[in-house]
Amino acid sequence: MPFGLLKYGLRKQHPGQHHFTPTKPLKSHYDVVIIGAGGHGCSIAYYLAKHHGITDIALIDKAYLGGGNTARNTAVIRSNYLTESGVNFYRDSVALYQGLSNEFGYNIMMENRGQLTLAHSDAAIRSFRWRAEVNQHLGVRSELVDRQTIQELVPNLNLADDARFPVLAGLWHADGATARHDAVVWGYARGACQRGVELHQLTEAQGIEIEAGRVVGVRTNRGKIACGAVVQAVAGASSVVGKLAGIKLPIHSFPLQAMVTQPYKPVLTPHVSSPHVHVYIHQTSRGEFVIGGGSDPYPLYHTRATLDQREILSAATLELFPFLAQAKLLRQWAGTTDMTPDYSPIMGLSPVENYYLDAGWGTWGFKATPISGQTMAELVATGKVPALIQPFELERFYRFQQVNEAGATAASH
Amino acid sequence: MKLLRCPLNGLRNISEFLYGGEVHPLTDPSHQDSRAWAEQVFFDDNAAGVVLEWWCHRPTSFWFIAERDTLTDQVLRTFASSEIYVERVTFTRAVSGDPHA
Amino acid sequence: MPEPRLPEPYGLWVDRTQTVTFTFEGQSYSGLRGDTIATALAANDQWLLSRSFKYHRPRGLLTLAGQDANTLVQLSSDPNALADRVLITEGLVVQAQNFSGTLKRDRNAILGWLAPFLPVAFYYKAFFRPRGIWQLWARFFRKRAGLGVIDQGFKPKRFTQSHRHCDILVIGGGPAGLAASFEAAEAGADVLLVDENVALGGSLNYADAAGSADGLTRAALIERVEQFENLETLTGAICNGWYADNWIPVVQGEHLFKVRARQVIFATGSLEQPVVFRNNDLPGIMMSSAAMRLVRLYGVQPGRQGVVVCGSWEGYRAALMLARAGVSVSGLIDFRARPDDGHALIDQVQSAGIPIWFEHGVDQAIASVDQNHVAGLDVGPLQAGQVARDRVTRLTCDFVAMAGGYVPTYQLACQAGGRLLYDDALAAFSIAGLPDDCWLAGSVNGVWHEGPTQADGIRAGKDALQALGLMAEGGEPVPETGEGLNYVWPIFAHASGKEFVDFDEDLQINDILNATREGYEHIQLVKRYSTAGMGPSQGRHSALTVARLVADATGKTVAETGVTTARPPFAAEQLAHTAGRGFFLTRHTAMHHRHIELGAQMMQAGAWFRPAFYGPAVEKNARIQAEINQVRRGVGMIDVSTLGGIEVRGTDAGEFLNRVYTGGFKKQPVGKARYALLINEAGVVVDDGVACRLHETHFYVTATTGGVDSVYRNMLKWNAQWRLKVDIANVTSAYCAINIAGPKARAVLARVAENVDLSAEAFPYMGVRTATLAGVPVRLIRVGFVGELGFEIHAPQQYGEALWDLLMAAGEASGIQPFGVEAQRGLRLEKAHIIVGQDTDAMSNPFEIQMDWALSRKKPYFVGHRTLQELEQRPLTRVLAGFMIKDLNRPQPLESHLVLDGNQMIGRVTSCMTSQTLNAIIGLAYVPVALAKPGCRITIKVDGGHHVTAEIVPTPFYDPESHRQDPES
Repeated sequence: MPFGLLKYGLRKQHPGQHHFTPTKPLKSHYDVVIIGAGGHGCSIAYYLAKHHGITDIALIDKAYLGGGNTARNTAVIRSNYLTESGVNFYRDSVALYQGLSNEFGYNIMMENRGQLTLAHSDAAIRSFRWRAEVNQHLGVRSELVDRQTIQELVPNLNLADDARFPVLAGLWHADGATARHDAVVWGYARGACQRGVELHQLTEAQGIEIEAGRVVGVRTNRGKIACGAVVQAVAGASSVVGKLAGIKLPIHSFPLQAMVTQPYKPVLTPHVSSPHVHVYIHQTSRGEFVIGGGSDPYPLYHTRATLDQREILSAATLELFPFLAQAKLLRQWAGTTDMTPDYSPIMGLSPVENYYLDAGWGTWGFKATPISGQTMAELVATGKVPALIQPFELERFYRFQQVNEAGATAASH
Repeated sequence: MKLLRCPLNGLRNISEFLYGGEVHPLTDPSHQDSRAWAEQVFFDDNAAGVVLEWWCHRPTSFWFIAERDTLTDQVLRTFASSEIYVERVTFTRAVSGDPHA
Repeated sequence: MPEPRLPEPYGLWVDRTQTVTFTFEGQSYSGLRGDTIATALAANDQWLLSRSFKYHRPRGLLTLAGQDANTLVQLSSDPNALADRVLITEGLVVQAQNFSGTLKRDRNAILGWLAPFLPVAFYYKAFFRPRGIWQLWARFFRKRAGLGVIDQGFKPKRFTQSHRHCDILVIGGGPAGLAASFEAAEAGADVLLVDENVALGGSLNYADAAGSADGLTRAALIERVEQFENLETLTGAICNGWYADNWIPVVQGEHLFKVRARQVIFATGSLEQPVVFRNNDLPGIMMSSAAMRLVRLYGVQPGRQGVVVCGSWEGYRAALMLARAGVSVSGLIDFRARPDDGHALIDQVQSAGIPIWFEHGVDQAIASVDQNHVAGLDVGPLQAGQVARDRVTRLTCDFVAMAGGYVPTYQLACQAGGRLLYDDALAAFSIAGLPDDCWLAGSVNGVWHEGPTQADGIRAGKDALQALGLMAEGGEPVPETGEGLNYVWPIFAHASGKEFVDFDEDLQINDILNATREGYEHIQLVKRYSTAGMGPSQGRHSALTVARLVADATGKTVAETGVTTARPPFAAEQLAHTAGRGFFLTRHTAMHHRHIELGAQMMQAGAWFRPAFYGPAVEKNARIQAEINQVRRGVGMIDVSTLGGIEVRGTDAGEFLNRVYTGGFKKQPVGKARYALLINEAGVVVDDGVACRLHETHFYVTATTGGVDSVYRNMLKWNAQWRLKVDIANVTSAYCAINIAGPKARAVLARVAENVDLSAEAFPYMGVRTATLAGVPVRLIRVGFVGELGFEIHAPQQYGEALWDLLMAAGEASGIQPFGVEAQRGLRLEKAHIIVGQDTDAMSNPFEIQMDWALSRKKPYFVGHRTLQELEQRPLTRVLAGFMIKDLNRPQPLESHLVLDGNQMIGRVTSCMTSQTLNAIIGLAYVPVALAKPGCRITIKVDGGHHVTAEIVPTPFYDPESHRQDPES
């Protein structure tokens, strides 16, 4: 029972306290500066404070808390990726997500709805089987399912033989889940601030000070901060911020659009995705259908929506669920995805000493929030790159060694 | 639908075009060291501001170059690639035959 | 007993001669043609329309303009329909939404009593202990969330779309929009005027004209529209978004217009705002403009006795308009102090017998006995912005008209780049910063009252004309006249709350304040934490109040606080509109009908349809095997028209191919074909094909079905930089092609071939010839993909069916049979030929797939060469090898089954089949280099978790010396 709510009704004064840091000036020095107070940045701050006792942290963001991609993603949590490195990584993240609400005492409204990816061609079936085999081998619940099982999982899915793209099979990921994306960043931020981390919103990093190949400070619009280490966690602006430190990255930033309908009584439980038709959809706990698809076809640092994408997503949605023709669209928006050549993130060391990278999150960032926070915190605290994220080092490109997740991501590039 | 002006065909809907990546000066790979070559293959500017980029008008397969502001999506100018790529390019093997020289 | 309709001229939009009967919640009602559901029900004294999202409070009409979500009702296969927009039709069945029990007595209304225990964002604060419990709570919440019910059995018809181009698009057909349209049309521009209401006129339709002599009257204006041939109007049409380069979707009924305008004028008017006080959400409490709409457009009385609450002269105008119509207004509450100089409107209102309460505010609204309607209003004198509770008077009333001020209808303008600014003195928003092909006109531009708004419309028209070059100069700016329209603080907090700030989300003043207290101070955080503005009306009536409350709580100005981003669509729009006809490209080869006639099971390869095999689906395996056997023992033919074809011509043709592909082509003899492997700059295999030299300066290069378009475009892009003397053309769809293969292939071909010597000496393996087959001009390529004597025949695509027919006829004596893609895959696997995209993945380089032989190292340059040099420095981690399982009783591995070493994943199967030809299971798999030697054993995990052992064998599996495809070798 929600006994926690009793105090709100029984007291005259609202018992809520400030969850974060009330606005105050920056200090002149911090042990760690985390550039970007989104899901990853707040997660890193949280674990640095909780697991490593490092609390002298400035968690800065040029806009509002979580206002970047964390506010804009479609909140899907899954681990049914392709590579061994990827699956291990996302699997651990999903496990952390399971206990996250209780970890920081903030309900992230995580629901294990399951995720179904549809195959409309033999090539897709081969690719799904590959993922299912790797997933199962590494302890992730994934299986190739036939049309009959698909019908049982999603009774209202269009399985007509005369559909333009008939469904041949599917990849059923029972571990797939959704959560309230804002709550994740707020929960981490509150947990971090409670432990002494300072959250500074509307604070933009404008320059990185480097001496003898090592980062020594950050210049912001609110003053200069000297620091021992910097983490950049600015999905959508990784190249821009990286340039401040003179760091080159293999990233291209493309808008990713999504849209949401008005709320309706529940008719769809799992998250359903069709890479072939370029759409994925689920119904939130509020009753709204959230619909997303492939990235925009050219790079842009502007989160505008287009009618073209709205048309593509609507047509694709009706291919899968024709009856949704009656659903009314409420809003469309976009985020900025930092795409990497191999659809895997870039984590770990940079050419600048004590300057750490948490970048290249494309369309796979939200699901990795807890594990990237934990591993990056370990790196910052110990100076050693945890084995789990070793494969994602920037250096891999200099060795022409990709960790290629093409086909397992939502974006179709 | 955004409009883009093809130097050959005039103002067309953006759906008729394909983005082709950043414009970079053509280099001879045999004259580049390992790290420089890796950067050429994988890394890019990804600038937030005015950039030069390749575009292809799909129905006519015409490649051209656009100068565009990636912050506002405003296209400042489009022009034929022959403005930048002027001469026939030849490749020579690196003198010592060692690509790392 | 419902009141009778007001006499004419009231009821502008209804036809009193036509009655329409419909049902609401199972009860029959009758209204007039032209009534919306809401107005017909109102005329029948039925004001209760819905139950709110969270507390299930009774709700009724608020704006009567389709701008609020109080009126959402359920129609058949159309949930969340706007009752104040949908016109009643005979037999229409309307249901209410979101209640348990009946609309009048919703059992869920008890949630209202729980409100104190449901603080802002309460769902984040609990429901997660013990761990995992949210999974159960979520189901509970999901059932209660959502408004209407989606009909899962609904079979949609496709909505239609069309395009419109115009010089000037005017959005909004009120006085400003009309004036702008005339100005533009007079100058000869092509004008499209769009209005969301059933008729033009905007506020002229319902607001009191106030007897102003400025400008034309409503009727005259609307008549004038007809005089322009170059002025098109769309009514009942909503501009649902602004997109780059003035691309605007307009929804009208079941049609979507996609409009491209060179200039856009936003004459979108303003949204009247509510006054915030306890119980301000009761049915019967509405905007003053809603009351006026009800009266003038539908002739319906808002109630028997009403009160107007306001902080501006607009309230007075509303009161007068109502009184003149014969509606009983028993009081006007003015938040402001009586002005020393008085005002004409004060006198007029008092003359109409309406008492005015100056400097009074609203303490609360009182509900009727059944709780479903307003029955009274408690008002009291204001002291420092607060209502003095101890001196409250209760006014009896059954409707309240709120004139709480206005917000410009900013959404489209802000999507176009406009920024919202707030003027503290005017207590109002304004818009600035539009791009130079967009203009504002009328009240959205801060210009009010009939005369000035029309003048502003003319000004905007002139500005747009100037931008088009149709006029030398733009218009003279018209001074803003919005002073006094917005009261600074029409917000009256009450100790017991329920002063609704956001009706959609049931948010009260304290919810907003508590959000800021908990640290969610930025307006975006307030929105996300409290959900203010996230409901169906997207903040139309909450944004201003929330901005004021947050600014006050955080010590900032309203301008600094701002509102959240306006996003399309402006009004809720069915997915059916933008889905349109759902056009998906489909491609058929020239021989498509032959396959259908022969009973082929078709499969999709990209947008192409190709025959997978011929015969009934239930006989799949047998049919495929028969087709394979036919090719091995006799002769078969397959339609390979989808294969890519590129002509490369010019003096640099050979040099060009040398640079694009890994192999050497410059010295390739005329009349020969060579395998062409394509890799990218990262050294990854991306495509392959065959390059045929037809002439010193002419190559015909094939590519994969799925890759050719990309290969072609990349070729062009490379040459835009290399500037070699070469012309490149993608002729894939200009040619059709058939592959005829089998020991009898030559014999069959010989029966129809002309102008060519097909003998082995004259036409060796990997040779290319041009010829005719029974008059059809063809290119013949001797290839060996399937491992038998074979010829690939390319002809201009119009000969498709003729070519098919003549080969089938020629082959009849030899027992020729068609074979499909599945058989071809089996045949090539027996030869261990790779399929790019199946046996290669996103990282496969030529070394891994044992294609060192296809690399020409002597060339100074080819795409990807430099990277191969890098990769060579490092040990190979995997290699594609052939394996065999001789025991046919073992389960056959499938593609993507893993190769294991103990618990380690060391590789995977990419192709596998049970080969009748070889009487064994054969396949290709990636394995570590150490295990790639013939004789090594590998373990494959198959379905069900079983392990199968396979042996690495040399490849090709079948006819290793390739005598079959090249008997002369």
